Amino acid sequence: MTSSSQAHPPGGTSVSLDGTRRRFFQMVIKASAGFIGLSLAVPFIGYLIAPALKRRTQQWVDVASTLEFPTGVPKQLDYVATVQDGYLETKTQKAVWAVKQADGAVTVFSPMCTHLGCGYHWDGAGQQFKCPCHGSVFDISGRVVAGPAPRPLDVLPSKVDNGRLLVVFKEFKSGVGRQIEL
Amino acid sequence: MASRIYEWLDSRLKLASLEKTLLDEPIPGGASWIYVFGSATLFLFLLQALTGMFLTVYYTPSPDHAYDSVQFIEQQVTFGWFVRGLHHWGASGMVIAIGLHMLQVFLYGAFKPPREMMWMVGVVLFLLVMAFAFTGYLLPWDQTAYWATQVGINMVGTVPLVGEFLVRVMRGGETLGALTLSRFFAVHVLFLPALIGLGIVVHLFILRRVGPAGPWDERKAAAIREPFYPRQVYMDAVVMVGVFVVLVFLARFVPFPLADKANPADTSFVPVPEWYFLFYYELLKYIHGPLEPLATWVLPAVVILVMLLWPFLDRQKKVRAPASRPVGMALAALFLVSVFSLLGISLKNLYGMKRTDPNIAHGQTLYTNLGCAGCHRIHGNGGAIGPDLSYEGDARPDRQWHINHFRDPQSVSPGSIMPKFPLTEAELQDLTSYMLSLKRIT
Repeated sequence: MTSSSQAHPPGGTSVSLDGTRRRFFQMVIKASAGFIGLSLAVPFIGYLIAPALKRRTQQWVDVASTLEFPTGVPKQLDYVATVQDGYLETKTQKAVWAVKQADGAVTVFSPMCTHLGCGYHWDGAGQQFKCPCHGSVFDISGRVVAGPAPRPLDVLPSKVDNGRLLVVFKEFKSGVGRQIEL
Repeated sequence: MASRIYEWLDSRLKLASLEKTLLDEPIPGGASWIYVFGSATLFLFLLQALTGMFLTVYYTPSPDHAYDSVQFIEQQVTFGWFVRGLHHWGASGMVIAIGLHMLQVFLYGAFKPPREMMWMVGVVLFLLVMAFAFTGYLLPWDQTAYWATQVGINMVGTVPLVGEFLVRVMRGGETLGALTLSRFFAVHVLFLPALIGLGIVVHLFILRRVGPAGPWDERKAAAIREPFYPRQVYMDAVVMVGVFVVLVFLARFVPFPLADKANPADTSFVPVPEWYFLFYYELLKYIHGPLEPLATWVLPAVVILVMLLWPFLDRQKKVRAPASRPVGMALAALFLVSVFSLLGISLKNLYGMKRTDPNIAHGQTLYTNLGCAGCHRIHGNGGAIGPDLSYEGDARPDRQWHINHFRDPQSVSPGSIMPKFPLTEAELQDLTSYMLSLKRIT
């Protein structure tokens, strides 16, 4: 085997850099790594956590006609909501409880019990909202009458426009005394 | 603080000796800027892997949602355009880097004994990169992606005996659809990265075992030996930063929007592959009929085999200097000239626009708007009441005649039933220019 095919040629001067030249190269290497690293880290982190920081914009949804439910009797109104889920637009079934007052104004309650989020129903005989999960009971204005619910029923923003009931659907943290929007 | 952590790790993992092995690699002939391309390719691969990983956080590989998810990344995700941009331009960068790397290795004869295995693993890596490019192209599921893949897969069908079967395997069935997308995604994101990762490790292992080739001049190679760190690492780092900055610039300033959503029913769409496949796209245009399989698979197979086995086909086992390897250099030159000529022709055909004189174009619009085709015919279109105007520019080349004729046809053509057209001076000129442009092509 001649020297040209040997992996490590024998002899020759070994170059070894020290001092300022070596430090210069080391500095450039570190700076390059830092520059590329940072230029990537910032966008990458933003890319990953952005959806966690985005707050959904509040939208008024047309739920039903105000003629659909009688005064003084709570009615569960089912409607279809369009939800923006990432790049997907899906339609989901939602429901709210609505109570029409004597003066025509409407109070809309979130359908979730403030204890742990179960769906409650209206007991016409006892004139109370009753939750089947742990026995919470609320009166017609949402106040807690009995059971483990820590706060009254959550009222959702609503308005009546041209005979239509519009609601902003919100979700609140269950099991706490204060109303905290999710 | 950092040094304390290092000492803690070192005493347990023997890092110092590992560092020495990795970084003290002696380079015959010393460090050089010409050796940066391998590291640049590795850097680009790592960047592709990283940006690719992040893209899968929001991308969905199903025909229903692929397009929308890419659009979502591009428009809604914070820095989504940036991650996608880096990945798109990084792919082109990688093809350029691997090309330059192969060119440098070939020029320096660094594939000759004892480095034959390095070269062969390298060719396999190159083919894997092409496979990455092909499978990745389908993922956005727009018209370009869909139809370019259709063409690519159909070319595989021309292979005798196994062609049809291979096509069905690639497609996942009879048609290009959901099964194609999901297997292309799996290959692009899982199978190919595993293979190329293994290939890179083997490629670098062989490099460490056999050592870098260094200059082709034996005396220069023997004269000095320099460790990889710090000077070669410094050169590699500078080039990596340069490449990175170029990619960031491209990602920010050169958009590449999605085409329309893939429509399998629209067979009129003409797809254009990425620039690094254009030379082949152009070649296919020249070879038709019974000779077509020659271009679709015979020639590529031959070229790939020659590339792969070159260290064994090259009879000169020891001499590395380019000046002493006329055959090798000539073949390489022929290959490069062919590829780049085809690329050039393709680009010219795609992007070179025929210049139309705006005045003539305006004149043509006037002709249409004024309803001249009601009485006159040009190349078969229009009425046969007035004279055929197909070669009016040859028949009546006098500009003034036309101006007078438009203003008052009867004054120059007695008995004519052509109405007067009240046109502005500019309109008269443009309409005349259009008339004069109607000539036989010489």
